[in-house]
Amino acid sequence: MTFHCRDLERALAIPELLPDAREHAKVCDACRRELWLWSEMSTAAPGLREEWETPDLWPQIRQELAAQQKAAKTRDLGWRGHWRMLAIAAGLAIAVSVSVVTYVRRAPAPAATQDPDFLTEQTLKEVEQSEAAYRASIDKLTRLAQPRLTAAENPAAIATREKLLMLDSEIDNVRSTVAHNKFNAQLQADLADLYRDKQDTLKEILQRAQ
Amino acid sequence: MPLAMAAGRLSARSDADLIQASQRGDLSAFEEIYAAHAGRMKSIAFHLLADRADAEDAVQEAFLKIYRATGAIQYDTVLAPWIYRILLNCCYDTGRKRQRQAESPLPAEPPAIPSNVPLQVAIRSALARIHPQFRMVFWLFEVEGFRHSEVAAILEIPEGTSKKWLFEAKRDLKRLLTEGRA
Repeated sequence: MTFHCRDLERALAIPELLPDAREHAKVCDACRRELWLWSEMSTAAPGLREEWETPDLWPQIRQELAAQQKAAKTRDLGWRGHWRMLAIAAGLAIAVSVSVVTYVRRAPAPAATQDPDFLTEQTLKEVEQSEAAYRASIDKLTRLAQPRLTAAENPAAIATREKLLMLDSEIDNVRSTVAHNKFNAQLQADLADLYRDKQDTLKEILQRAQ
Repeated sequence: MPLAMAAGRLSARSDADLIQASQRGDLSAFEEIYAAHAGRMKSIAFHLLADRADAEDAVQEAFLKIYRATGAIQYDTVLAPWIYRILLNCCYDTGRKRQRQAESPLPAEPPAIPSNVPLQVAIRSALARIHPQFRMVFWLFEVEGFRHSEVAAILEIPEGTSKKWLFEAKRDLKRLLTEGRA
């Protein structure tokens, strides 16, 4: 290959062409100078490196790092303390919840003693006995009033029969409800009112007949 | 010259060992990293900031960031490119903060290169006049002794680009030096 000055730059970019460039430089001062400069830049460059002693730099960095480590540990402990408090609070909450549930389950029907709308077992037994006796006495009255009631065909007698049918129907309804909710004092009172109403109606029929 | 040797590291511990030890809070391991790289880091920082105090600040900031970041890096990370990337970022931050032109230690329009100065002085002056990317590659490869693969890793560019930019840097420098000495 014939090497010309214009090929020098290409030779500097392509190391394989450098031997040809060096051969050419033997007879070309300009190219020899450029080749020397190219090579000398690499030789001189490491001398540009700036070096100086900094005996305080690492101690400063170390001090800063130690302070950061300490701060991190403090934060870590803070979080651990925070989690410990949360754990204690959660434990207390669970303990209180368990105690409340246990107390509620073991408590002997507290609502019946505190709420007048609910009856105790003993009271219910007394109510049921009274109702049975009351019903028996009303049935006795009904048997006494029935002949007079069915015999009369005046409007008052017809209205009274309808009233008794309505009362009997209502008594059946309330008794059916009471059967599913025996401790409900209000229902027992409603039932008693219906019985009383029926009793009064039967008494009226007997009084009218006299 | 391999990076570890160029850095003058005397430690037998590998990068992975040093990372793991640093992650455990072992400051002696971190000191080994400092000893291996601080000298070259100061030189690079000075090249970018043109002030020793600024360079030391940048190196200190870089090591604090490196230490904080060791907790998040993989054990198989090659330390050097990562460390020097952090340093360059710190230098740019410092440069911005102090309102200096980070990659131009000399004034915006550097004076022409006198013909009677030693070559090193002439190169230093000429470096200020070439493209910052070319200058950075020249500095890392020719001055600090990094290989093209390492320059590429530090600057996050392809290795071929590192070679090309080095050629461009030297061509521009040769032109400037030739003009100055003509």
